[in-house]
Amino acid sequence: MSKISLERLQARFPKDVLAVETLPHGDDVARVRREAIVEICHFLRDDPELDFKMLSDLTIIDSLTRRSEAFGGSSRASMEAPPHVRQQPSEAAVRFTVIYQLYSITKKHRVRLKADLDDKEPHLESVSSLWKTANWLERAAFDLFGVKFDGHPNMERIFLYPEFKGYPLRKDYPVNKRQPLVEERNFPDLVRGPGPGPGGAGVPMSQTLVGRINVNRETYD
Amino acid sequence: MPVDLKETSEAALVPALVTRREDAQSFMEKLVSGSLGWARKYSLFTYPFVTACCGMEYMSVASSRYDIARFGAEFPRFSPRQADLLMIVGTINVKQSVVLKRVYEQMCEPKWVMAFGVCASSGGFYDNYATVQGADRIIPVDVYVPGCPPRPEQVLDGLRLLQDKIQTQKHSLISRDQAAIAEDAGRRKGFFQKILSK
Repeated sequence: MSKISLERLQARFPKDVLAVETLPHGDDVARVRREAIVEICHFLRDDPELDFKMLSDLTIIDSLTRRSEAFGGSSRASMEAPPHVRQQPSEAAVRFTVIYQLYSITKKHRVRLKADLDDKEPHLESVSSLWKTANWLERAAFDLFGVKFDGHPNMERIFLYPEFKGYPLRKDYPVNKRQPLVEERNFPDLVRGPGPGPGGAGVPMSQTLVGRINVNRETYD
Repeated sequence: MPVDLKETSEAALVPALVTRREDAQSFMEKLVSGSLGWARKYSLFTYPFVTACCGMEYMSVASSRYDIARFGAEFPRFSPRQADLLMIVGTINVKQSVVLKRVYEQMCEPKWVMAFGVCASSGGFYDNYATVQGADRIIPVDVYVPGCPPRPEQVLDGLRLLQDKIQTQKHSLISRDQAAIAEDAGRRKGFFQKILSK
């Protein structure tokens, strides 16, 4: 029952569907070529037996530190990314993976599409012409991961302010980096230390070595 | 160690001659300051800058069960120009910091600020790219109320602390910014010089 969408998809796009997987509880996963994503989405939406009229979510995975996190090296990703880590090549063959969660309101089934992107200048064809909700979802993905969607009517930041530099949910974005809009006050602080600068009041708590063990001062910018 | 008699005799004399500034204030000034402080601490008009879930606890504090009106912080004013206590209730993110600073600058002197909850005090657990690590990085804060969210009793305790602070502050009937006075005097001087030179 749940496999019907994958079977139809494979029959229709034998070359573009790279791999399929059926997980429990009706989770069908199809890994597709990124060049054919609009065609595939169009087929899934308009096919009468599949009828995926709803795009529930569009997310992105950054696989930069996937392997080190799997072996318990999560600090590399979530604590701080020192420059020598940022310069290392990506561990995974593919860095960004765009994920589409589709749902059919009439048939009550769902499917998940995955499309791998190139490492440098990641971009993908927009599906905002198929589902209107993709407009904001793609803007959010662009805002936080820097993946550009070609053909999107308004490819701008949706959450963050225009002065923001970089993409904060990428694994190589330093977790401690702050980009304030208002100039922060300089005042003596008993815990955080006096004044702006490393260890001072102008830096967040995570940079002050208070309650942290594996923190190296020299990794902060 | 031998004691220098000359120095000690001078040191004994000097405090008797030089009095500190607050010691030199007249009885009347102190009376005015004390009564103004008493009046101000029991008539705080609050401006709730509610941004997050602490707002629920603020409602509890403000409504009948805990009733912040018992302590003189009678009712919220939703215009910063009519308020003298800014309550920062909730997380301040970087985009909101601009608004917060503007609201603070719109308030008339004298004004006080209370950071309500850990997010307003220190950023809380939002140690990330989007959040200001404490509202005191944007504007000066008088009282910090910890808690996530704080119990209403804690907020009332913080309010009492603020009242003590207000009472011990110096209040005067006419208080002018010294920098503004100097600027004004300079402007007048320049004006008269311009007239006289003609």
